[in-house]
This record gives sequence, C-alpha cells and structure tokens, in this order.
Amino acid sequence: MDFELTDDQSTIRDAVRDLAGKFDDQYWLEHDRDKQFPTEFYDALATGGWLGITTPEEYGGHGFGITEASILIEEVAKSGGGMNAASAIHLSIFGMHPVIKHGSDELKKRTLPRIVDGSLHVCFGVTEPGAGLDTTRITTFARREGDHYRVNGRKVWISKAVESEKVLLLTRTQKVDEVAKKTDGMTLFLTDLDRSRIDIRPIPKMGRNAVTSNELFIDDLMIPVEDRVGEEGKGFTYILDGLNPERMLVAAEALGLGRVALDRAVTYGNQREVFGRPIGMNQGLQFPLADSLARLDAAELVLRKATWLYDQGKPCGREANTAKYLCADAGFQAADRALQTHGGMGYSEEYNVARYFREARLLKIAPLSQEMVLNYLGSHVLGLPRSY
Amino acid sequence: MRWELSAEQADFRSVLADWLGGTCPPETLRGWLDAGDHASFEERFVCEGWFGVGSPEDLGGEGGGLVELALAAEELGRRAAPSAAWLGSMLALPALAGMPEAAKALLADGVTTVLASSAGVVPTAETGVTGDGSRLGGTVGTVLAADRARRLVVPVGGERPSLQLVEVDQPGVRIRLRALTDRSRSVADVELDGAHGTAIPLEGPEVLEAAALRAAVLVAADALGVMEQMLDSTVEYTLQRKQFAVPIGSFQAVKHAAAEMLVKVESARSIVYLAAASVEAGHPDAPLHAAAAKAQVCGAASAAADAALTLHGAIGYTWEHDLQIFYKRAKLDAELFGSPAAWNDRLADRLALVPGAPA
Repeated sequence: MDFELTDDQSTIRDAVRDLAGKFDDQYWLEHDRDKQFPTEFYDALATGGWLGITTPEEYGGHGFGITEASILIEEVAKSGGGMNAASAIHLSIFGMHPVIKHGSDELKKRTLPRIVDGSLHVCFGVTEPGAGLDTTRITTFARREGDHYRVNGRKVWISKAVESEKVLLLTRTQKVDEVAKKTDGMTLFLTDLDRSRIDIRPIPKMGRNAVTSNELFIDDLMIPVEDRVGEEGKGFTYILDGLNPERMLVAAEALGLGRVALDRAVTYGNQREVFGRPIGMNQGLQFPLADSLARLDAAELVLRKATWLYDQGKPCGREANTAKYLCADAGFQAADRALQTHGGMGYSEEYNVARYFREARLLKIAPLSQEMVLNYLGSHVLGLPRSY
Repeated sequence: MRWELSAEQADFRSVLADWLGGTCPPETLRGWLDAGDHASFEERFVCEGWFGVGSPEDLGGEGGGLVELALAAEELGRRAAPSAAWLGSMLALPALAGMPEAAKALLADGVTTVLASSAGVVPTAETGVTGDGSRLGGTVGTVLAADRARRLVVPVGGERPSLQLVEVDQPGVRIRLRALTDRSRSVADVELDGAHGTAIPLEGPEVLEAAALRAAVLVAADALGVMEQMLDSTVEYTLQRKQFAVPIGSFQAVKHAAAEMLVKVESARSIVYLAAASVEAGHPDAPLHAAAAKAQVCGAASAAADAALTLHGAIGYTWEHDLQIFYKRAKLDAELFGSPAAWNDRLADRLALVPGAPA
C-alpha cells in the first residue's frame, strides 16, 4: 500500500492551491452576493490549462485520471472558492466523459479543444421535474425529422445553463412504454442552448449563487444529427458511465469545503478570547473540531481509494458512493461546527463560514441525496431487497 | 396550563421515598439480588399498605389513580426495587374490575395476580393461548413476575381475545423461570396444558388496551426514576473523581454530557405525569400521550444509561459499582411491554400519515 501522491499529483495540488489562492474571500463573497459568474477565476484556470486535465492529449488536454481531477477540484473548493468555484469548472473537468468515450471524432474535434481552452461553457441537462432521480422517467422527447431532431420538454436544476453555450441533453427518442427495458430509448446530445427555443429561468436559491441553477423550457428545439452523442437509444448507458466519477468529484468538493471551514474555525478558536482565554480552550468547541478533523481524514481515505480504483479500471461503485456519503456528511458537519465556533460572527457574511455552510448543505442533496446513496449500498452492495 | 401534584400526591411521594430509602438501601438490595430473593421486598411492600395505593377503594384499594401509581413506579425505579410483581398486578387490575372478589384478594390480601402477556411486546399482542375455561392450552413466553404470581389473567384467542382468570397452583399450569440480565425484575414462561380458568365478564380488547396504556405510563415512570438516580450518582461521581489534579466534573465535555442527561430527565418528567393524568381521565388523546411517554422516556433513559456509563469510566463497568443495576434496569425498561419503535408505530398509526410504500 502506498499513500504518497505521485510527483505529478503533488505538483497539481500545489499549483492549483497557488492559483486558486489568488482569489480571496472578498472575491467569492462579492460574486456570491451579486450572483456574478466568477469569470476571472474561470479564465485563470483555463489559461493555466487546468480545464483540460482529463481531456485526452489528442484534443489538447492532459489525459490525467479522476484522481488528479479530484485533487484539483478539492483544492479549488478548499481555497475558499467553495462550490461557486467548483461548479464554475466542474463539468469541464469531467462532464465531457460521455462525449470522450462515445462521441464521434467530428463532434470531439469540434468541442473538446474549446473545453480545454475555456471558450466553450457546457451544462448538464438530465434532471426533470417529473422524474427526479428516477432518470428513466424523463419525458423530454426528441423526434427525428430528416437530419434533425425536434425536441420538446422541460428540465430542472440545470447548473450553469445561463452561462453555457452548449448543453449535454438527455432525451427520450422512444417513450418508456414503447421499449423493452425502461433504460432503452434514451438519446444524448451535445448541442447549442438555442435561446430562441429554450427559455432559461434561474431558480432563486439558498446558496452557491455565483453559478445559476435553472429551469429549462424547451420548445421545438431543432438539433442537427451531428450533435448526437453515440447511438440513438443508448443515452442512458452513456450517462451511467459518468455517475461514479461525478460522485467522486462532488465528494472532493465537499471535502475541500470541510477543510476550509475547519481551518477557519481553528483560526477563530485560537484568536477569539472570551472569559479571558481563547475560546478554542473550551472542550465544548475543541472536541467537535477535533472530531471533524478525524471524520474528514477518514472520508478522504475512501475518496482516494475510490479514485484509485476507477483509474485502475476496477469496479468502484461501492467506494464512489461511500466517498460521496462520508465526504458530504463530514464536510457539512465541519461547516456547521465552524459556524457554531464563530458564534454570532458565523452568521454574518463577513467571516465566510455562513457561505460554506449553505454550500456544504447542498452536497447532502446533490447530485443525489444521501438517502439514495444508502439505497445503492443497501441493495447493490449488501444484497438487500430494493427499498424504493 | 398549570398542572402540579396535589398536596396528598406530593406527600405520598415523599413518604414512599423515605420508606424505600430505609427499606431498600443499596446494600440490602444487593443482598436480595444476589440471593434471587424478591419476596422479602414484596412482603414488606404489601404489609406496609403500599400495594393498594392508586387503586379504587371499591376494589379493596386505597384510592387514587394512575398518577399515584406513576409516582410509585418512579420511586421504585429510583431504588431499583424488585417491583415486578407489583407492576404485573397493576396491569392485571383493569381485568379484575370485572371480578371484584379477585381484585380484593389481590389488593387487600396480597394474592398476587399478574397479566399473562409477554414482557417483550405491547400487551395488546396475541398470546397464542386457545381453548375455553375448562381446557386452556398454549405457552406465553417471558411473562413479567409470572414466577411471583398465584393467579394469572390470561388473554385467550386471536382477533377479539377473551380473558380467563387462572390459578397457578393446578396440574395444567407450569411456570418456567427465565434468567434476566436485570436481576431487579423477573420473567417466566407460562405453559398451559389443559388448565382450568374462570371467564372474566369484560371485553378482552378494551381491557388489554387499558392494560397497554397503563404499562406504557408505568414503565416510563420507572425509567424516569432510574434515570434520575443515574443522573444524581453520576454528578456525584464526577465531583469526587480527580484526573489531572481536578475533578473530572470540571471538564466541559463531562459537564455537557451531564447537562444533556438533566434535559432528558426534565422532559421525561413532563411527559410521564401528563400521560398518567391523561390516561386516568380517559382523555381522547390518552393513547398518544401514553405512546409518547413510553417511546420517548424509555429511549431517553437508555441513552442516559450509556452516558452515565461513559462518565463513570471503567468503574461503571464493574460488578461492584451499583451503576450496573440501574443501567440494566433502564435497558430492560426500553424493551419492556414494547420497544420505542413499537410505540412509535402506535403513534404513527394514529397520525394522518401515508402508509408505507408497498414492497
């Protein structure tokens, strides 16, 4: 067993820490408050070549694995940028995976180099109001008309749609009652978010406000056949490939948030004096922080194992799900305790932990709830009957 | 709303507490438990006239109701007194209201009569006993204080059980004592094979529902007393025990754990007395109050027992320290006549919730 990062991984970690560290608390506070996309931050990462960390070298990327991607995004979150920073780049880092694996050469040549240089912003269009996590129940329909598909439907919780030029859009090309398996008949596209055909409405929300979350109303969107990813009817399996890496990346984001929250709590616990001594001297404050350190460290180990397994081409469903579960839990708990440690100041925006708290809470819900992780572990790992 | 104990109730409590302090001090209790002797305590409890308190005078009792019984249960729990025979009898009493002579034999003459319902489930559960009064058959497992009883109230049949009063001393009845981790109570299996019984002229389901609510209130009250004792002794210990040259009670983490126990005790007290008064008055929400008391108080006492053990460190884990007696009593109270989950289910049944998703 070897717990050391490779030279490349250490270099990535240090360089990203350095780069992301140039964007201070004030930057993120303002962008979150003003609901402004962090363009300068995004451009800095693009210029540094970081957006292409997992894109194959033939398309201008670095061809690294999910381990390196997770280290990158953990550092981004940990810099204090939190989920605003992570969500700005999340899809560029690994979301193009279905395209890389299943897309045509033409589609890849047309899009991947632009992902790497940052000029192409994409979002992920899967979830719908009537389906939730029951993905096969989506109803957005793509009907073939010559060399185009005509698409109608609705999507919800589409992050970064306002800021994106293209969308990875999952549709049905056959209705669920027309297919043998309910996972059949779904088709994936990488296509323009044509504003004349798609109404994009941001959803007012609790946090991570520098990056929008949106409802999409799709009305006779015409998608050229060339924008289809892989074969018609196989979209669900293409999406499935990307779920474990997504869980790992989100786990890394939760971990980074937890780390920065804990750092801030420790700093404040040492500085702030009440009753003539630093408040960190109180067991009631010190123990929860020490407990969070232990939980973050344990969650990190599962995450590292999960990404290692994936990069080795081994099955990693159990570990990816466990990493998401434990990192989200430990991250939120650390943020909650950081807020408590700060007392009244924790509730003010000035100390930033309120922002981490709001963002960390999101990771217990997205991209799938903690309860759905337990469903996976209960039925797929333990072999208990499906409970939902 | 203002509710408090009446002057008589408060007096009753303090006199009983004093009496128990003299009769059932820790060293005496230990002697009884080591010898497996519950009779010495039971005899004194009956002789001194405590047994009839909380039961109607026309049945041979001393008057008062479930609030008095709850106060008694709380004080008995606080001393970990061997009170299984008393509790089992108090659960049989709603059935004996249909047979005043049998009630008087129990309350006035000390003919211990317990409800033959398994201690691990809510008393409304089916017993598995079948037959009629001339020939009863079946086994009821782990009946509280069956080994102490001279008579049993036996629910017979499934859907709408009838009730039979059965003398223990007859060829068709066998009592098989079971070992309990909590030595301050006892349970035994009741095996009926052609046993004779006398029909009790009351509706079985209504009587058993009344017994279940009494069980919920009285076990919760017992757990409250146990929890109060554990809190007091734990606080005392943390003031005595020194580490790093200071009492461990000066450590914030220890203080906070003790404070959490106090919060549990205070909220438990509020629920228990409310539930006792509500069941006694036949309030429409009495089943909710009783279920909340059983689930919440017994769950809290079980958690408080864990905290008490943690705060005592290794000494709490030893046989020589009294904590083990109360710890085990709290753990049995959690399961006695239905776990917190079982009583939460009863609560859920009475709330406007959607049924569980089909499998």
